[in-house]
Amino acid sequence: MSSTDESTEDRLKSALWYTIGHFVDTSSTTESFNATPQFIGALTELVYTHIQNSARDLELFSKHAGRKVVTADDVMLLTRRNEALEGILKAELDRMRAEEGRGEEGPKKRGRPAAAAGAKGKGKGKK
Amino acid sequence: MPPKAAPPRRKGPAFNPPRPVKPPTSTTAPAAGRASNAAASRPAPAPAPAKPSAARSSFQPTTTIISSDDEQEDEFDDLPSDIDALMEDAIDDKPRPQRAAALVTATPPIPPPLLVRLLHHNFEDENTQIQKGAMKLFESYMTIFVREAIARAKDEREKTGRDVGGAASRFLQVEDLEKLAPELLLDF
Repeated sequence: MSSTDESTEDRLKSALWYTIGHFVDTSSTTESFNATPQFIGALTELVYTHIQNSARDLELFSKHAGRKVVTADDVMLLTRRNEALEGILKAELDRMRAEEGRGEEGPKKRGRPAAAAGAKGKGKGKK
Repeated sequence: MPPKAAPPRRKGPAFNPPRPVKPPTSTTAPAAGRASNAAASRPAPAPAPAKPSAARSSFQPTTTIISSDDEQEDEFDDLPSDIDALMEDAIDDKPRPQRAAALVTATPPIPPPLLVRLLHHNFEDENTQIQKGAMKLFESYMTIFVREAIARAKDEREKTGRDVGGAASRFLQVEDLEKLAPELLLDF
């Protein structure tokens, strides 16, 4: 079980590596920079770890709110430490909702002190 | 920075748009004064393209984002002096469209299906689900994260390049990432 788990993880990581490498290559052609393969590897690791952390955060956020389903609210909580980022994502969210033409879930993001409190100790979860 | 990209396009789109936007103010100013002004300040805009944009929110983001510094400067040189005022506008406007368009137009660094897999793989409880909207939002979040990491690495590289004496390579190194990682993670 754990061995298949590991290999899945490795394969996911390779996929991420490939896609990040591709992204870096594409952007490096339009902007004047270049990256060493090591840089791409390290960036992959960073991104993977961050996804890992975020996944646990999101799961915990939704659990704390008594849900089994992660909602946009939970994602907004990820940005609680960075107002600028929150602003950007909020705009993005509003845009998405406007596109869908429905309020999905009425109340706006943000608020939610209860969930925020629960979020507390997570940042470092795993590495 | 954005310079290298699109020389072929130069004369057309990059140059025309400002005309309708600004004519009244620019024509009232004495052309000669403007011209010398523009000539004197020309070197400045290239290194610090981000600053001036704040003033001109009126200019709508266009698709001609790639109009580069090089291009702008070249045109500057070629122009008769009475048009210089217009070119000032063009330079001011350039950075803003680029910023605005970035998030929307670019392809995401991580394809959505992969991100879903990654996310679900890392959920502790297999029954955890995620809403579509939340997923989209998380995609933007990760997109910003990746772009921010690369942007900061570039910044770091430029900084170290300057310290060393300017000759440093344009290759982003792991060390750049190491330096920015702590702060980046604090910000996200």
